[in-house]
Amino acid sequence: MAITATAPAYAPVESYVGESGLWSWLTTVDHKRIGTLYLFTSLFFFVVGGLEAGMLRWQLAGPNKHVLSAELYNQMFTMHGTTMIFLAIMPLSAAFFNYIIPLQIGARDVAFPRLNAFSYWVFLFGALFMNFSWLIGAAPNGGWFGYAPLTTMQFSQGLNIDFWVIGLQILGVSSLAAAFNFITTIINMRAPGMNLMRMPMFTWNAFVVQFLLVLAFPVITIALVFLQFDRFFGTNFYTIAAGADPLLWQHLFWIFGHPEVYILILPAFGLTSEIIPTFSRKPIFGYPVMAYATMLIAFLGFGVWAHHMFAVGMGPIGDTVFGVTTLLIAIPTGVKIFNWIFTMWGGSLQFTTAMKFAIGLVGLFTIGGISGVMHASPPADLQQTDTYFIVAHFHYVLFGGSMMGIFGGIYYYYPKMTGRLMSESLGSWNFWLTFIGMNLTFFPMHFSGLMGMPRRIYTYDSGQGWDGFNLASSIGTIVLMIGVALFLHNFFRSFRRGAIAGNDPWGAATLEWSIPSPPPEYNFESIPRVTSRSPLWDVKTPTLSAEVPHTSGGDQRVNVSFAGSHVGHTDSAPLTSEPRQRAESGMHIELPTGKSARELGIPMPNPSIKPLLCAGSMVIMFSGLLFIHKDNLPLALAVIIGGALSMTFSLYAWVLTPLEDAH
Amino acid sequence: MAHAAAVHSAHDTHGHPPTSTGLDNKKIAIWAFIGSECMLFASLISTYLIYKGRSVVGPYPHDACLPPACSTPLKAILNIPVTSASTFVLLMSSLAMVLALAAVETKDQPKHTTGERILGSSKLWLWMTALLGVTFLGFQAFEFTSFVHEGLTIRTNLFGSSFFTLTGFHGAHVTAGVLWLLTLLAIDYRRGLGPKDALNVDLAALYWHFVDVVWIAIFTLVYLIK
Amino acid sequence: MPLPPRLRRHHAAALPALLAIFIAGCANADYPNSVFTRFTEFNRDIGYLFKLLIYLGTFVFIFVEGILLYTIFKFRRKSDSERPKHVHGNTTLEILWTAIPAVILAFIAVPTVRTIFKSQAVASADALQVEVIGHQWWWEFRYPQYQITTANEIYLPVGRKVNFKLTTQDVLHSFSIPQLGGKRDLITNHVNYLWFTPDSVGEGAWNGFCAEFCGTSHGNMHFRVFTVAPSNFEGWAANQQKMAAFGAVAPAAASVVPVSTPDGTARGSAVALPAATGIAAATPTVPVVTNPTHPAGTAVPATFVSFPYDKLGVHNIPQTPLPEGLTFNESLKGDPQRGLDFMTKQMGGGCVGCHMINGNPVMRGVIGPNLTHVASRTTLAGGIYPNDAKHLALWVKNARWMKPGVIMPTLGAGQYDPITKTYIPKTGLNDQQIADIVAYLQALK
Repeated sequence: MAITATAPAYAPVESYVGESGLWSWLTTVDHKRIGTLYLFTSLFFFVVGGLEAGMLRWQLAGPNKHVLSAELYNQMFTMHGTTMIFLAIMPLSAAFFNYIIPLQIGARDVAFPRLNAFSYWVFLFGALFMNFSWLIGAAPNGGWFGYAPLTTMQFSQGLNIDFWVIGLQILGVSSLAAAFNFITTIINMRAPGMNLMRMPMFTWNAFVVQFLLVLAFPVITIALVFLQFDRFFGTNFYTIAAGADPLLWQHLFWIFGHPEVYILILPAFGLTSEIIPTFSRKPIFGYPVMAYATMLIAFLGFGVWAHHMFAVGMGPIGDTVFGVTTLLIAIPTGVKIFNWIFTMWGGSLQFTTAMKFAIGLVGLFTIGGISGVMHASPPADLQQTDTYFIVAHFHYVLFGGSMMGIFGGIYYYYPKMTGRLMSESLGSWNFWLTFIGMNLTFFPMHFSGLMGMPRRIYTYDSGQGWDGFNLASSIGTIVLMIGVALFLHNFFRSFRRGAIAGNDPWGAATLEWSIPSPPPEYNFESIPRVTSRSPLWDVKTPTLSAEVPHTSGGDQRVNVSFAGSHVGHTDSAPLTSEPRQRAESGMHIELPTGKSARELGIPMPNPSIKPLLCAGSMVIMFSGLLFIHKDNLPLALAVIIGGALSMTFSLYAWVLTPLEDAH
Repeated sequence: MAHAAAVHSAHDTHGHPPTSTGLDNKKIAIWAFIGSECMLFASLISTYLIYKGRSVVGPYPHDACLPPACSTPLKAILNIPVTSASTFVLLMSSLAMVLALAAVETKDQPKHTTGERILGSSKLWLWMTALLGVTFLGFQAFEFTSFVHEGLTIRTNLFGSSFFTLTGFHGAHVTAGVLWLLTLLAIDYRRGLGPKDALNVDLAALYWHFVDVVWIAIFTLVYLIK
Repeated sequence: MPLPPRLRRHHAAALPALLAIFIAGCANADYPNSVFTRFTEFNRDIGYLFKLLIYLGTFVFIFVEGILLYTIFKFRRKSDSERPKHVHGNTTLEILWTAIPAVILAFIAVPTVRTIFKSQAVASADALQVEVIGHQWWWEFRYPQYQITTANEIYLPVGRKVNFKLTTQDVLHSFSIPQLGGKRDLITNHVNYLWFTPDSVGEGAWNGFCAEFCGTSHGNMHFRVFTVAPSNFEGWAANQQKMAAFGAVAPAAASVVPVSTPDGTARGSAVALPAATGIAAATPTVPVVTNPTHPAGTAVPATFVSFPYDKLGVHNIPQTPLPEGLTFNESLKGDPQRGLDFMTKQMGGGCVGCHMINGNPVMRGVIGPNLTHVASRTTLAGGIYPNDAKHLALWVKNARWMKPGVIMPTLGAGQYDPITKTYIPKTGLNDQQIADIVAYLQALK
């Protein structure tokens, strides 16, 4: 059913959300459920990573403390970094990709629902595999950057690094599979009329991130393959005696590692770009520039990797080139900051918790950006690199940026996912404690770094000028942890006790707010026809949005040809050839009907256990490598071959089963 | 081939809205996958080139290794005539793949002459592609074994590690391609491949051509350039 | 919601103020590792860049956060019926905030590039050459112009350019002396250089650290740099060039099978025991001193052999706590000759496998630090313990307990070795033997 009136009276959540029960979750191929699984899993690992950070700060709270041994400290900081990057922030972003992208572009699911499930299960098993190392007392201990030759067999004989290498390979499969899926989804499943320049900003950022994933992950895959081969098969890629160059690892790692930074931050930028316009009641300022800036950041992001290596002695030419490209990347990033501020300028700002976190991102990321420019000057970086100044910088980027954006995103999208609002009063406490705790933890690190404190040291003497800063950081960590605990309390409490949200609690502009909360399994009863960048505002406040240009392209179909043959067309305009008239656009607001897809005749993919089986088999296959080091070749081969056969079998079973029932 | 994809989506009767580009989802995904594979092989090839000439012991790819660098004299390891032959085989397999796809797309059209019937046999050309692929793998197996006999293993030196890993990864890709082709053949034998399957054959073909192109790059950079 | 914006505003105003106070106080004695010093041309050049970056950064910070705070204060929602005008962009503004940062960045780029080329030029040939070799987890320093090999302590003459040649024996390390000259990584199979001139500095001691994660005891890999008057440097060097101060024999008297293991992996090697008569009997009455350096209060002696202990700052003296339960009978009196005989004739403790003492024909190992003048050093074990009798004794007794992960084995009888997870049998060293060894080592001025 479709109406154009606003503010209907909402009943408590009644929309059809499908079956429940454990089996339905194990076999689900619904992007919303998979997004939910991603969200819960990654929040769990965020807490794990946070507790690891707490241990680190406890150890460093004062000079010469003995909370952790040197070895345990090394494992702790390695796993803190690895967990936060690969098991918390990336999958938190993936949770939003899964849940939000199809809703924002008016699709009923992602392009490959079962591949999507596969991505999640691979992520989950990979995360569990890597953390299993704690149980046998051999957690990775080479740092999240794993510099060779420290990670080679000669210097690290335990299983620690094996868990890390294999775990990252597994997680890479998950990220790549998800990226192929989302690229296809965004390119190919947009609602009629939603050309690229009408895509919501979050989808834009997510789109760019997928390209970064697709191009960056193969590089770390190869770097890890070399390390794996060195460790398991005795190759020489990082073997000192064979004349190997340790900088090979560093270059490959950072060709991946720097785009990875943008993989971590751009989704949060996207969420912020949704939240700020909504709570300013104004469209994003300079939409095309925002889109181009995102692309430019991603493009330049592949040309700055060696700024992580200014101390390795690349020579003056290399230092100059990478220093200058790094300075350049500050420009599109600055453009984004200003565009956010000027989105708010002249707006009507409502300081919901989501908005506070989004503004927090703008303010805190700016600090991270400024310290980033300070490292971009190679001679000055020689005094900064591998000190706490760098730790301060990237926590302003990753906590002040990514996590602030993600917290904001959770407050913003929680009502869409659950049908209920999170508490704003708890949210306010949550924000302020997080904001203060974050600054108290990380700002003093600028000082301890400039006062010469190296990174990754498990202890230090007093009298070095570091005691006060470290104590402040450790106290800040406690405040930060209370803030995060309040967040978790609010998150779980609001499932049952939050206020009923309705379709569109915030008065937002994009498609996901036109459907019930939580959305029915098929998302859209009828696929909307999009004529502008803010379709819901066109319906609700048509006079205001009339001024805004909504597309940069003309209103005709553009033929797409590839290799000389016509392959289709893009919808840069409504499919109908009538002149565009917003009042008659296909945009509408759906109310919950409680009907299932079957009742409505909407084809839905069947649930399937095969992605889970395939993912499980793959992880078993990888874990077989561990037994090689236990000098148990037959067992290793049995596990590897068994896993490979099982994976192949479930893959064939998966591919040869149609996605949905024939009609 | 691409035309078929457009036709497919235009006649989509499964109740799904048409795709934004008119291309099938799988087509977009395989291009994204190939983009990713490009970076994979770029990393492998760059590593080979970076480590070229930096091995501390022989054998070497293009030069003999004489005492004292090697305890016994070792001749240059790469056998370019043999590899040229295997390269030719792989190139021919791409031709066969093109013919296989054409045969699948035109399955429904009547065949009059023997030539048309031969060209229209998807089984023949799929078999041909797969067999040429297997032949290439045979060449590679021969090359690897003879290298091992000449004293070069994956553990010997930087050249051995980077060479075997690079060509081994490529060989693994060819193997996966052959399995894919055999799967298509199995389907062809069970129910016959027709124009409605053209998209799936097209995906295999894109992958196969990509693997072929990668080999051209490897052959040029590893074997031909000294 | 009036409170939050005000709070934010205070916060934002506090940061630059803090920064300014901080920069002013950064060379303060309370911050002995501050990077803001003017002791070398290297740090002065970097300091200029730093100042530029901090001023520009603070300006951008105040500007951006100021606009942000103004915006969120000024445009907060006053009534729910507000419907602001939908502005979509402003080309002039967007060009401005692309162009202005570009100009600011150009101001950074030009001096940056100039400093890059200046600081990475090849050092002049007359510079003092120091070879730095990283080991897990200690530093080997060689002065090729003086034929000196030492560990964990560098002496530099004030006013002379020093050129460090940086290599590593095992994994990657990073050579960092915040107060004198930035850092540069030690990369396996690479040679790196770093040079500076300590020209605006008096006699002093400076802390150095390993700044690249290098394994278990990365946090325990320190060193000290002493800037001394040129004459004192010559005195120090002359002493370091000598044979061991105790028990040395002329090189010709020794017949030694070298035990060097260039790959650094072997833990012990075969040694041909020289004739016992090869070792000269020297005065056996060197007392065990707890302070290896000169008595307090004395002027720098004519024969300067090590940096005066009393001139060290608190931050130069390591404070690593000893493991609880690791004890040594300090009442035992060691005898250096007995220690020497035990180490070299009876191969007690296996010291010969790893350590070198010039003039001692048996002590030819190259895995551990060179001990020829070990008593002239102020610290032990990668700079984490003071070099006195007690710490030396405990180190010999159970090094692996005192510093996680080290190669130096646990030697004391009955001691628990945390790496092999076994107890050392009764045949291990007893406290008297350790006291003798310590007495010998302490004689090696």
